[in-house]
Amino acid sequence: MRAAIRRGARASSTVSRWVALAKKETKKDDPLKQLARPLAEGVAIKPIYTADDVAALRTPPAQLPGEFPYTRGPHASMYSNRPWTIRQYAGFSTAEESNAFYRANLAAGQTGLSVAFDLATHRGYDSDHERVRGDVGMAGVAIDCTEDMEILFDQIPLDSVSVSMTMNGAVLPVMAMFIAAAERHGVPAAQLSGTVQNDILKEFMVRNTFIYPPLPSMRIVADVMAYTAAHMPRFNSISVSGYHMQEAGADAITELAYTLADGLEYLRAATSRGVPVDAVAPRLSFFFGIGMDFLTEVAKLRAARKLWAELVQAEFKPSNPKSLLLRTHCQTSGWSLTEKDPLNNVVRTTVEALAAVLGGTQSLHTNSYDEAVGLPTELSAKIARNTQLILQHETGIPTVADPFGGSYAVEALTAQLADAAAAVIVEVDRAGGMAKAVGAGTPKARIEACAARKQARIDAAADVIVGVNKFVDARGGAGSNAAPARLIDNEQVRTQQVARLERVRARRDGSKVAAALEALRAAAGTEPPAWTPGTPPPPASSEGGNLLALALDAARADATVGEISTALESAWGRYSPAVSLQSGIYLAEWSAVAQAAHAGGGADGHGGGAAAEGACDTDGDAQISRTRAKAAEFAAAFGRRPRILVAKMGQDGHDRGARVIATAFADLGFDVDVGPLFSTPEEVARQAVDADVHVVGVSSQAAAHRTLVPALIDALRAEDADGTMVVAGGVIPEADYEVLRKAGVAAIFGPGTRIPIAACEVIDKLAQALHAKRASVAVA
Amino acid sequence: MAGAIRLAAGVVEGSRAALSRAITLVESSLPDDFARATELFVELTRQQARRPTAHALRVGITGPPGAGKSTFIEALGRQLLDGGKRLAVLAVDPSSATSGGSILGDKTRMHALACHPSAFVRPSPSSGALGGVALRTHDAALLCEAAGFDHVLFETVGVGQSEVEVANMVDMTVVLLPPGSGDGLQAIKRGLIEHADLIVVTKADGELRAPAAALAREYATAMSMLRRRWRGWRTPVLTCSSHSPADVRAVLGCVRDFHATALRSGRFEQNRSEQELRLLFSAVQGELAFRLRTDARINALIREQHRRIVGGEVAPRVAADCLSTLFVERMRGGQSAQ
Repeated sequence: MRAAIRRGARASSTVSRWVALAKKETKKDDPLKQLARPLAEGVAIKPIYTADDVAALRTPPAQLPGEFPYTRGPHASMYSNRPWTIRQYAGFSTAEESNAFYRANLAAGQTGLSVAFDLATHRGYDSDHERVRGDVGMAGVAIDCTEDMEILFDQIPLDSVSVSMTMNGAVLPVMAMFIAAAERHGVPAAQLSGTVQNDILKEFMVRNTFIYPPLPSMRIVADVMAYTAAHMPRFNSISVSGYHMQEAGADAITELAYTLADGLEYLRAATSRGVPVDAVAPRLSFFFGIGMDFLTEVAKLRAARKLWAELVQAEFKPSNPKSLLLRTHCQTSGWSLTEKDPLNNVVRTTVEALAAVLGGTQSLHTNSYDEAVGLPTELSAKIARNTQLILQHETGIPTVADPFGGSYAVEALTAQLADAAAAVIVEVDRAGGMAKAVGAGTPKARIEACAARKQARIDAAADVIVGVNKFVDARGGAGSNAAPARLIDNEQVRTQQVARLERVRARRDGSKVAAALEALRAAAGTEPPAWTPGTPPPPASSEGGNLLALALDAARADATVGEISTALESAWGRYSPAVSLQSGIYLAEWSAVAQAAHAGGGADGHGGGAAAEGACDTDGDAQISRTRAKAAEFAAAFGRRPRILVAKMGQDGHDRGARVIATAFADLGFDVDVGPLFSTPEEVARQAVDADVHVVGVSSQAAAHRTLVPALIDALRAEDADGTMVVAGGVIPEADYEVLRKAGVAAIFGPGTRIPIAACEVIDKLAQALHAKRASVAVA
Repeated sequence: MAGAIRLAAGVVEGSRAALSRAITLVESSLPDDFARATELFVELTRQQARRPTAHALRVGITGPPGAGKSTFIEALGRQLLDGGKRLAVLAVDPSSATSGGSILGDKTRMHALACHPSAFVRPSPSSGALGGVALRTHDAALLCEAAGFDHVLFETVGVGQSEVEVANMVDMTVVLLPPGSGDGLQAIKRGLIEHADLIVVTKADGELRAPAAALAREYATAMSMLRRRWRGWRTPVLTCSSHSPADVRAVLGCVRDFHATALRSGRFEQNRSEQELRLLFSAVQGELAFRLRTDARINALIREQHRRIVGGEVAPRVAADCLSTLFVERMRGGQSAQ
């Protein structure tokens, strides 16, 4: 008691001493508040941390890395004994090309592989399916059958190189083909090491590369966990991913909370099937995104380890201490990369990589500077890899474990983040756990609200991005100092894949394939065997109805990704998401930013405060009013508001851009139709016609626009709607502009476009076209 | 006029683009478009020897947010399409009061309908049209029917007034209620139930199956105590999982039953006739109000009278009487004085 009083007294005196000093320096009445930076709803980063912040913590900071709750690191020696794994995520076009790329990278010092699959594979389609015309080989490697997988890992020693695979929706065929291909290379499943992402919950929240509805999807996750627990001791069965949440706009607390809540849900899924917690928890790995908010990101990783250890201990009481360890992979933020002044991205990636390392990551992917516009080139990939090699070998940083341990700011921030995230997790548990929450759509809505606010803050220049919304280089055009992005000729990839598919289908034993697929379909169609505590769990085998074991039988018989997925789909159906979009958030954040700028700061509540002097662009504020006035003028002149269909075509499920655009355009006075994900150009054209929109806005993140946008324009013409304007936005390299313009695209908005400016341009172009039409009718 | 002839021909021939542009015309806020829309309907009537789809069924589907309306419409619509029907879905979405824009997002939940060649899905903002929601929605339905759609579904969010307006222009109102939300009683209070020809408790699967059944029982009891909608029809209460084809079939069966019963009893024609009278009245009212609002001379006089009312020189009742008389006289004499 007396100690607490003394602590309190001392705190007030230290802080008041600082306040007195800062007042004199800054001429602000309340520098503690006015200089604070809001991080998320109700959480702000203070301008000063002192010994008192650390002394006031609920629990004292951990003493050592390798000790519960592992805040300071999962291992005692950390990088001084073994540095983190340099694991670059890559994959493109064909298995042959990706294989050559992997082998070159391994030779150049990379220490683990991370496979990116194309979207057709992610969504369980073979390359010859009509819905994936534009997607084959575009954002990763196309895999259709076990033979593709054999080629992908040709001459790569799978018993020593660990392989991470980003696969969720089509995890069954892809894991099965990986195991079958390794067997054909002479490496049994037991010797394979690596990770499969297998994190379906976040797909329903943000990334959208699911195939089946949530319930059967969770069954797949549990079966993969059970199978690997029984047969693949060196393989991590899930990589619980926050990365995609951050990319979709989540703040650090939201990312942290939902990721750990997902992890808990997976442990529950496995243990409820009779798999002991100690058989699965040690093979759960995590995956966080690391953005530009340096101290927050360092603290986030520390908080994640602490919170996870405490939560697992409390709920599952494992006997193996390894079950409590949160081991994580990190990737620098793709979203933070800019199209303008792309070489600035080298600096961003370096700072982010440093945060990941100081936070204690186990492996790391550093982005290439040109990834805002396309797949990395050889040069940009080399610089990305070297960023890590330099950190490991030149800086001396790895020689000390958790160098930030004991820092007032980082220790206090760690606790702040952990407490705030714990509160969100309690909320999720109250709603019945993450699977339920995801089904109800609450996490997606929360993340989308974060994204809309973030976009408003960037458009208002309250959050600064150098070279994009501040310090813009008037001379340099976008991409002027970058190497050209890697172009994929996806027609050629598709032809090659289709040829191989035909060859494989011709040479395999059709009756064996049919039998394996029928067994898989039958197992999917029956409820998984119930398990009662105290009895042995069902065996993770084909006989036990384990879906991965059954998929493996099919892969050994050379069934294709599409065939295996269709067998499951015939039992479960394909899932189409239905989450409504909120409007009003974008506009509200603008007003908050503008108000804060007029009030000169103040960090209370979200959206206040961040506007340091001069940071808020009052021009931007005028821009918003101008756009809304324009929309109203348009309505007065043409009888209705400008109406836009925001469309996503192909299998690219990254819909942050599309959804932020949709909500912001509605706030700016458009009537906005939102098209369903995974549409074909013909379907988009039909929706555009039914709604009689003025303009279709195509959002593209995965390069399929080269094929799909011209196809859309043709489809509009076929529907007698060639007057409908088409604009495109998203990750579109400048090299593609010419193709798109030739096809008839009226405007292209690259990454970093401020939304009100884009909206203005669209209205101007529409008004111009409509006035011209009126004039021609009048003349006629 | 040439434009109207071409557009009407396009609609009747079943051109999707023509139908869509025609609906845009009736939704427009421009006086010129209002006149054009009138021409269009003159022309449509001329081109159609008789009302081609006089017995096309118009069904209003309403319910509180979260009742699963779009998912239900998608499931119901797919069965109609499988049965060879042609289906138009007209969704009225509330517009934002602050920016005026709105998100008309429900296509994301009606993927199959939005892509089907025999379906037409058209969300519309609730504000804007000159003639008001009722007239322009009715117009849109007539256009869909002229284009050969034999079923028109109206989706409205069960908040505010639009669902009551829609109930006044459909042959059948289906009210959807989600289980366990406490919206039930509110729905009764708001009078939503009063208009229901069929109540469907949605989301009746998984853990919600039991609560859905319980809510349905509660409503069945309540409905048995309410006055019948009309002789020959007592509003049934069903539970439905939009993921269960059998459930959706049962709802569709009930809709067909209603349609047949209403046709047989003469209720169908009578209801339409009453609706058309109401619509005619409100359209004339709307037209007169518009002319009043846009009559510069009358507006000047209104401002003048207003000053006098404020100054205590004249009572509002007296001023109104005086202005109305003047307005009617001006109308009789034509607008030439303007």
